[in-house]
Amino acid sequence: MGPVELLHMSVFSQSFSPCGRFLAAGNNYGEIAVFSLSAALSPDASEGSQKPILNFTAHDGPVFTLLSTDTHLLSAGNGEISAWSWAELIKKSTKAAWTRKPSYETSLEIPEINAMIINPKDNSLIVGGGDNNIHIMDMETGIFKSVLKGHTDYIHCLCFKEREGEILSGGEDGAVRIWDSRTNRPVHCIEVFRYEECARPQFGKWISCLATDSDWMLCGGGPSLSLWHLRSMSPTSVFPLPGCQREAVFHQDLIMSVGEGPYVSHCLHGGTVKAQIPCTPSSLNTLALNLKNTEHRVMTVGGSSHQIDVFTNFSYRAFSLSF
Amino acid sequence: MSSDAVKKRKPKVIRNEEGTPETKRGRAEGEQDVLVYHEEVELEGRDPQQDYLLYKDTCAALAKLMAEIQELKSSGAKVGSVEMEERRRQCSVHFITLKKLNRLAHMRLKKGRDQTHEAKQRVDVLHLQLQNLLYEVMHLQKEINKCLEFKSQHEEIELVSEEEFFQEAPAEISRPHVTRDDHHQLTLARLDWELEQRKRLAEQYKMSLARKEKIHKAIEQKREYLSSLQPGLQNIMQASLPVQECLSMPFEQMQKQAEVARHLPPPLYVLLVQAAAYGQACDKTLSASISGDVDEAKALSRPPEDSQDDESDSDAEEEQQNTKRRRATVGVQLDDKRKEMLRRHPLSLCVDLKCKDGSVLHLFFYYLMNLNILTVKTKVSTTTDLSGAVSAGELLNSESLLNCLYASDHGQETPNPTNRYQFDKVGITTFADYVSDLGHPYVWVQKLGGLQFSSDSELMGSALSASHMERTMKLLQGRLQARLALHKQFSSLEHSIIPVSGECQHLFPAKVVSGLTRWTMMSYQEFTELGFVQHVLKAGLLRETDLFFMAVVERGTARLLAAVVVNPRYPEVMPLFSLSLHWKGERSGRTEDNLRAMESEVNVFRAELQGPRPGFQLLTNQIQRLCVCLDVYLEMESQVCDGSEGPKEFPREKMCLRTARGPSRLKPFKYNHPQGFFSHR
Repeated sequence: MGPVELLHMSVFSQSFSPCGRFLAAGNNYGEIAVFSLSAALSPDASEGSQKPILNFTAHDGPVFTLLSTDTHLLSAGNGEISAWSWAELIKKSTKAAWTRKPSYETSLEIPEINAMIINPKDNSLIVGGGDNNIHIMDMETGIFKSVLKGHTDYIHCLCFKEREGEILSGGEDGAVRIWDSRTNRPVHCIEVFRYEECARPQFGKWISCLATDSDWMLCGGGPSLSLWHLRSMSPTSVFPLPGCQREAVFHQDLIMSVGEGPYVSHCLHGGTVKAQIPCTPSSLNTLALNLKNTEHRVMTVGGSSHQIDVFTNFSYRAFSLSF
Repeated sequence: MSSDAVKKRKPKVIRNEEGTPETKRGRAEGEQDVLVYHEEVELEGRDPQQDYLLYKDTCAALAKLMAEIQELKSSGAKVGSVEMEERRRQCSVHFITLKKLNRLAHMRLKKGRDQTHEAKQRVDVLHLQLQNLLYEVMHLQKEINKCLEFKSQHEEIELVSEEEFFQEAPAEISRPHVTRDDHHQLTLARLDWELEQRKRLAEQYKMSLARKEKIHKAIEQKREYLSSLQPGLQNIMQASLPVQECLSMPFEQMQKQAEVARHLPPPLYVLLVQAAAYGQACDKTLSASISGDVDEAKALSRPPEDSQDDESDSDAEEEQQNTKRRRATVGVQLDDKRKEMLRRHPLSLCVDLKCKDGSVLHLFFYYLMNLNILTVKTKVSTTTDLSGAVSAGELLNSESLLNCLYASDHGQETPNPTNRYQFDKVGITTFADYVSDLGHPYVWVQKLGGLQFSSDSELMGSALSASHMERTMKLLQGRLQARLALHKQFSSLEHSIIPVSGECQHLFPAKVVSGLTRWTMMSYQEFTELGFVQHVLKAGLLRETDLFFMAVVERGTARLLAAVVVNPRYPEVMPLFSLSLHWKGERSGRTEDNLRAMESEVNVFRAELQGPRPGFQLLTNQIQRLCVCLDVYLEMESQVCDGSEGPKEFPREKMCLRTARGPSRLKPFKYNHPQGFFSHR
């Protein structure tokens, strides 16, 4: 990677290892880099410990999503999903455990995969991407058992409500669809852009981030980031953030969201923006919280830069890892 | 009474007590001795002790008599009675005895004194004798010492050792039977031998001198003969010139060059030899020649002692003069010292590189003697007239033409580390001030001259020069050609035409609506002040030696500003574009992911955009691709917002499967040939 390539690199996805000591990140060149958090956070960390311990090309398209199970790291490229054993990755071996491709109808252009989540109840992998459909794959057998169709444009984000076993998907068509995972049937469809409080027609209607916390749902994108109460299917708070948000999470009492603009926004449930913490990339694509490991409890964000900012205290940026 | 006898010591006054009754004879001296009374003789017979006792008795008797007289007088006797007279007579006799005793005592004293005196005399004489002898002894000892210290001259002569002497000397000189025992003889014999040897050697020396003279004369004669041949040879060479030209073997020229080349300083000589060799062997377009003042060069190579003496004398004179005047000439002195330090060798090398289209790159190499570095100046001569492109002013500027031929070789500072100390002495802070005057001291120039200043490689001299020659010449030609190609392209660009060559047409769709409306050059200062290039500055991809341009691409109301950084090593290094779009607001690659994707599309994909070797189409292809991307962007952007704006400004004409893809919803910028549709990367 020359300096010009580094200048044009974007980080799209992140995932922490099951032990919480390593971070994997995927970029637009199809590379995955594994960073050692314990080395970067140790008191005698140097510049070298902010570089990846392993950097390899995983796919020939950008890696838009990464997911960690208890043993493996799942990564998605152009129409394919690969699994890498974390133990092997830590030992710097880059051989994929398996690679599977969902079946696509068109063959002109291979669609990308934008989101992956795991349904822990029946151990299945749910992926959504460029072909407007949600594919569900059984983790043990590797067979794609079902396809959920409904979206009219490609799917940006997925999330899963454990209690009810429902899948939520947000897409470029501006709709948030809720599916029942057992029956694989659509339950609800919310067109966020039709609600005046949230809609921002000057941007567009797409939904690029979704998050749920029991009865609450966050969604945003073209429309403003808004907090919805799912029972009543209505927005309770709208957050006045200027850019389009790409990822949002619930964390304790706060809502943290990243998107266009070089900052991480901390918001309160009531709809106020509590803080906007500046960071290095000029716009952000992904935010990840390492809650598995109390020693290395950090928040990492990545976006249009080859650097990933690490926040040890969520209120300010501590240092940056670099591809 | 008899007191005069005591005083007189003359033998005239004599008395003799023992002898015959005295008859005072006359003073006949001859017989006086026999009948004289020697009281001294008597002295020897008497015992002093007894005399002392006698004296005491006499004194006692006298005292007694006096006492009796006293009694008598006191008893009233008459003065002159018999007893008193008797006693008086006895007293007188006693007195006489006393007197005699007194005399004897005096005489004894005198005798004693005389004896002492005599003894003393004797002792003195002996003492004197002793002193004399001692003095003589000392004198003799001194003489002995002097004799012992005496070094004969003969000891200064180095003699052969004894063994050698006995071995070499003939018997009549060495006389072993005598000399082995007698050291003196041995030394004499050795001296004789030495003398003989020296005489012999002196003879030999005279003979050798004579021989040398003879040989010297013979040499002179032969020399004269040879120099008489010279004009004859010259004539032959002149006559052969036409023949040489006929056969195209310019020996004469080469010889002349070789003749002058002898006076070149070593680095220039190495460069000349290597360049000429390379030109002959590999590259017919290269030619090397020497220019400059040969006489001055010859003057420089004369022995330096004379000139140094002259200089020091004149320095001394100058100094004296200076102290007489005011010392206002310190600055001038420093200036002179600087000029002296930066002096160029009078001879310089000119290397010409010809290109296929007839343009020539002239390189003039100079050698700075005191600094021991080579510098180069350039000139480009072209067959066609190159005026026309305003923005191309810098391209063929001789100051910057050869910048960064090898990466980071700016040629502003001298590569020789010892020059630092020399500069400090004359107050030169940086060599960059003199570069425009003296030429650029690039590192590759030093290497071509065989001068090695870093400890990178083991090569020195000709080997170093040879190892770099081919690559450097190729780079130089490549540089010239690239610059000329750019020059031509710039004149097109300034007329808003993007000159895409036939081989590269397949990279772009047939219809490109966005057009280049402006192409201007910028300075480093202006460039770094632009807001949307700060990310390039921070990443360290800008240098002051780079060339900076601004391109403006327009379509309808949209105006795209592209700031271009062109590295001097174009096309080895890709030009870097930074974008800023003015359309319904201002967006740049930092604020908008799609513009960043456009930048990436133009900056990253060298293999696609390079075009045919040697890659001179790179910049124009990049600009054309930029126009295509702007088309795609503007057309797709109008589609995204859902029917809320009224008539679209840019109707969609490009074919693509999807308008947005991925989390950042990028537009399809990649053009696929020959299908002619756009897709995402």
